[in-house]
Amino acid sequence: MTYQTMTFDELCFTTQLPAEIVFEIIEQGIVDPGGDLPENWAFDANMITLTKKACRLHRDLGIDWSGIALAISLIDELERVREENKQLRRRLKRFIAD
Amino acid sequence: MEFKDYYKILGVKLDADDKAIKTAYRKLARKYHPDVSDHHEAEDKFKEVNEAFEVLKDRGKRDEYDQLRQYGSSGEQFQPPPGWTSSQPFDDQNDGRFQDGFSDFFSSIFGNAKQQGFTSNSPFDRKGQDIETELPIFLEDTLSDESKTISYHLPQYETDGRVTEINKTLNVKVPAGVSDGERIRLQGQGHPGLGGAPSGDLYLRIRLVPHPLFDVEGHNLTIIVPIAPWEAALGTKIQVPTLSGKINLSIPAKSQTGQRLRIKGKGLIRKIGVGDLFAVLKVVMPSAANDEIKALWEQLASKASFDPREEWSKR
Repeated sequence: MTYQTMTFDELCFTTQLPAEIVFEIIEQGIVDPGGDLPENWAFDANMITLTKKACRLHRDLGIDWSGIALAISLIDELERVREENKQLRRRLKRFIAD
Repeated sequence: MEFKDYYKILGVKLDADDKAIKTAYRKLARKYHPDVSDHHEAEDKFKEVNEAFEVLKDRGKRDEYDQLRQYGSSGEQFQPPPGWTSSQPFDDQNDGRFQDGFSDFFSSIFGNAKQQGFTSNSPFDRKGQDIETELPIFLEDTLSDESKTISYHLPQYETDGRVTEINKTLNVKVPAGVSDGERIRLQGQGHPGLGGAPSGDLYLRIRLVPHPLFDVEGHNLTIIVPIAPWEAALGTKIQVPTLSGKINLSIPAKSQTGQRLRIKGKGLIRKIGVGDLFAVLKVVMPSAANDEIKALWEQLASKASFDPREEWSKR
């Protein structure tokens, strides 16, 4: 269930997005479905949400696709750093007396 | 209903021109966009900002709003004047920025917004909205396939056009080895589609619940192991909890605080394999000492020639 993937056409259908927009998102490297040829592409649940997120940002904030790619990688990095920071704080707390 | 001061929401003056309004909107939209912001009210704020922009960017709507503004101000109870109808056609081409329509305040002035947007070709034949919700999972539960019961609300479209809400309960199999932030997609379990179109999907975003003992680091776990000073000095054998029962661990002599001991294969399960558990030692002083113990420490202090601050004197 979790690791089930979908094809390009299925992704377009489930996100209700035109193929050229999904192509753009893949071309920009926002989503990387692996495989050189579109028929080998496989999209997992996280990629589906990422595709939708890219579209929301494009639509709501009027950012072009290369800007979206940058924004998403920065948001990811920020989330990763926030998470790491949270973990380190938790660990530090275990070491240091109040 | 409460009067909404769209100028205040966008932080612009009453005589702001279109350019100033657009700039203010863009700035706030970036700040509160739910995909970007970690503000706890981001989604509501974002909707509010969009609603304000929808009115103030449009000359006709703005004029009508300015007229009504004389009847109420922010925070007050507001009723449109009797017989009020907007002459502004509802703009169905609003780029679908809104997932849940506008506020009652907006609707009372400009009529009903279309309830859903984005990606629709026709309002009568539309795939249902996807839902995303968080699924908290205990670390222990990631070691094997687990069955979880989830319940959530779904709108139900009645034949007479009314929308009611139903409570839905599902049994979900969460496969072993899920990681934080990973999503499980349940096809067709989202909002129902309209006009025979398929239902949306349900996405469950896995959130690993912080554990009182173990911290997660990738697919490895760490646990802080408190030890007595003499255990650190002489070494000992202790029992350490893991996610799957206790195991024996040898603490070597002359151990230090912060030292990491690897317990192979006792971390989290991932597609790439099983992680390890790291036991991190923490030397702890006993809180109370009677005269006899104190005497023993004094004896140790005089016998051991140990300068823990040796590093300082080198500088």
